[in-house]
Amino acid sequence: MLLVLSLSAAADPVSRGAYLVNAAGCEGCHTDLQHNGQPYAGGRALVTPFGTFYSPNITPDRETGIGRWSDEQFLRALRDGIRPDGANYFPVFPYPSFTKITDEDARAIKAYLFSLPAVRHANRAHDISFPVSWRFLQNGWKLLFFSPGPFRPAPERSEAYNRGAYLVTALAHCGECHTPRNWFGATEPDRFLAGNPHGPDGKAVPNITPDPQSGIGDWSEEDIATLLKIGQTPEFDFVGGAMGEVVKDTSRLDDADRRAIALYLKSLPPIRSQKKGR
Amino acid sequence: MFFVTRFRLLGMVLAVGMAGVSAAASLAQDKETVLKSRQETMKEQGKDVGAVKAYLEGKGDLAQAKTGAANLTQTTKKIPELFPPGTGGPNPTGDYVAKPEIWTDWNKFLDAQKTAASKADALLVAVNSGDKAAIEAAFNDLGKNGCGACHTTFREKIEKK
Repeated sequence: MLLVLSLSAAADPVSRGAYLVNAAGCEGCHTDLQHNGQPYAGGRALVTPFGTFYSPNITPDRETGIGRWSDEQFLRALRDGIRPDGANYFPVFPYPSFTKITDEDARAIKAYLFSLPAVRHANRAHDISFPVSWRFLQNGWKLLFFSPGPFRPAPERSEAYNRGAYLVTALAHCGECHTPRNWFGATEPDRFLAGNPHGPDGKAVPNITPDPQSGIGDWSEEDIATLLKIGQTPEFDFVGGAMGEVVKDTSRLDDADRRAIALYLKSLPPIRSQKKGR
Repeated sequence: MFFVTRFRLLGMVLAVGMAGVSAAASLAQDKETVLKSRQETMKEQGKDVGAVKAYLEGKGDLAQAKTGAANLTQTTKKIPELFPPGTGGPNPTGDYVAKPEIWTDWNKFLDAQKTAASKADALLVAVNSGDKAAIEAAFNDLGKNGCGACHTTFREKIEKK
């Protein structure tokens, strides 16, 4: 498995997809581990200020999963937040980040998901109330807050920087938890990665910009890569909670990808937040 | 005889009652002591982890790494006694909460602790061998699948408003 995962540049779309699905952390939200749910069969409760959402089944089961989806439908769901029936997803699904995923990677992700065993597990309705529950209102939300489009590498920057930027902003969708959200639940672009006092399950999520006081300005790139590999902070603590789950995935990335993430994070503009977030 | 018994009974009731009061008082004090020694043990473990890490990075010597790893084999085994029932909730002098799952899923907690302890044992074997690659592998395994796994399931940050 490790061998397969480390072949990030492998030609075979399924093994490429396996690496990408791990980098995107799909399994975490789409598996109801607490109730011994099958991998990717959905049902995990995601508690947000807007209500409790239950992740859908993304195994290739034809009745309860995504087994009937075409490539086009999958790409539209992943990158535009639109279901095959035309309705919008809620942005609890990080399509505002996934919109940056390249065509090739999106197809590889689908190839891997479709190589998994189909699990019959019906989706559970979200526990949300009016007006959030009116899905068509999401059209307005998208108009205001969603900028679709693929990742554009910065030509003046290094390959490692651009790889890090792609991982952080698109696949690993770090900003979905580490960036604060406005009243409408949209991430605030000018506070990118500056910490979120009201993250998943109501927990505070730390500032990971290089601000020396409130962020991780005193961390070296090596420190960041170590955290992503084994969860160890420079103070020799080992992270837990939601980040502990994330480390399960980042520990399986290539060393080069972890270093690229570290390089990109260290090159971001430092943003001061109210308190030291970690 | 009858009176003696009655008084004895009264005495026993009183004694039991007073024991109850003092038990409650000592429990509260105990909780404070428990939280303190829990926090101190974890910090000590952080230092021991640091000693091994320093050796791996070429900043510390092997003797200190050996002491650190040996300490970790001891302190990881002490973890269950640091979490007696009724000592959950936020630590007033710390940043973290011991989650209620520790006691509702006590056997799962013990499994996680045993995993950490066995990985600490493996680290000590590796450190004693002096083979850096083996030490690094054992170190990463203990950190991620021992310490980190337990912190992921059973620890959370205190919410500071």
